[in-house]
Amino acid sequence: MAAVGEQAISYDARGLSEPDAAVPEISEIDGTSAEFDAHDLSTRQINLELRWLINEQGVTDVTVRNPGSKHSLGVGLLTRCKITFDGSLGYFGCGIIDGPEVHIKGRVGWSACENMMSGVVVIDSNAGSLTGAAFRGGDLVIKGRVGARTGIDQKGGTIIVMGSAGSMNGFMMQRGRQIICGDVGHGLGDSMYDGTIYVGGKVRSLGIDCVPGEWTDADTEFIERKFRIYDLGAPPELQKFVCGKKLYNYDNLEPSERKLVL
Amino acid sequence: MSEMAYSEPEKIQSIDAEFLAGHRFPYQEDISLVETVDLDASTPGDDINWLEDIELLEENGTPAVFDRYSNSFIKIYFPIPKGRENEIARKVLMTHLQTGNSYGILLKEKHCKFPQPELGPWVANSKIVGTDWKPPVLEGWEAPMH
Repeated sequence: MAAVGEQAISYDARGLSEPDAAVPEISEIDGTSAEFDAHDLSTRQINLELRWLINEQGVTDVTVRNPGSKHSLGVGLLTRCKITFDGSLGYFGCGIIDGPEVHIKGRVGWSACENMMSGVVVIDSNAGSLTGAAFRGGDLVIKGRVGARTGIDQKGGTIIVMGSAGSMNGFMMQRGRQIICGDVGHGLGDSMYDGTIYVGGKVRSLGIDCVPGEWTDADTEFIERKFRIYDLGAPPELQKFVCGKKLYNYDNLEPSERKLVL
Repeated sequence: MSEMAYSEPEKIQSIDAEFLAGHRFPYQEDISLVETVDLDASTPGDDINWLEDIELLEENGTPAVFDRYSNSFIKIYFPIPKGRENEIARKVLMTHLQTGNSYGILLKEKHCKFPQPELGPWVANSKIVGTDWKPPVLEGWEAPMH
């Protein structure tokens, strides 16, 4: 028996069924801006339309109406541009991007912005688990709450969460920064190698080798700058957590291992 | 030039940008060639964005900045003014990327599998590459039925 709502899906939400999909070319283009309605398009068609606009039509500002929580939208965009999703995204939204400034006017599912290299993503509402997984660089701002393991394997960049976060945030984090304004669950920063996590609310428990850090003027400058840029108001009083560096010694690793976290 | 073994079993000591290119670049030796780089303008958003994580490091005893797009260090041979270490490292890296000298960029035209700007997010309106990639065909091989 089909799950509730499943009968209404008329496309392959994984985007796997259209290896030869054509660019829809349905956008209304006005100079360097464009807009299109994604309601009747598949994941692959939406991404093809985005790439066609940005790479071939000289468009630098795109609005996608009715994204419909489809998975894997806005992925693999490797240039400077502005994209607005006028709605929510499903799993793996805006993954592997390098340069775009994205505004999502809704919620996102698991693993938003995984492997993001640079750019800015602002999410107006909540995000699922594994948000910013393997995040490499840029800024990710979530104005709602996030699930578990935000910034797992994070290797750079800044993740800002205005609400609370689930358990195991910053698990195996290797570089970068997280600012969680609300409460966080158990196991914060478990097995982190490096990086910094700032928390404004209560911490249920710290993970292995995650310890309180010493606040510096650089922390204050950084926090105030990010809150000013994204118009987030006055930052709350934050606690700082870093790696205790008891679990590893990079000096003993091969040079190639060292490069993996740079 | 890096000291590096070309063949096994000698131990590979390092792979840096000049080894990959076969020569040094002028901006590794002359600070005046990087001074004018505008880091805010070269990166997305209202600050230096991803360059926040880029710092001056050291490779084989020489100041260097890491280029994540080619997994190699760019050594810096000119004296770096005190207090400007990270700024200069970021400017050298950005110059390396904007001039298209990063080895990862050199590989794009031949090997990238989907259309993308050759100079990525570092230079506006760069050439689109990867528009005609075709998977390599192994002579005599046939795809399995399943």
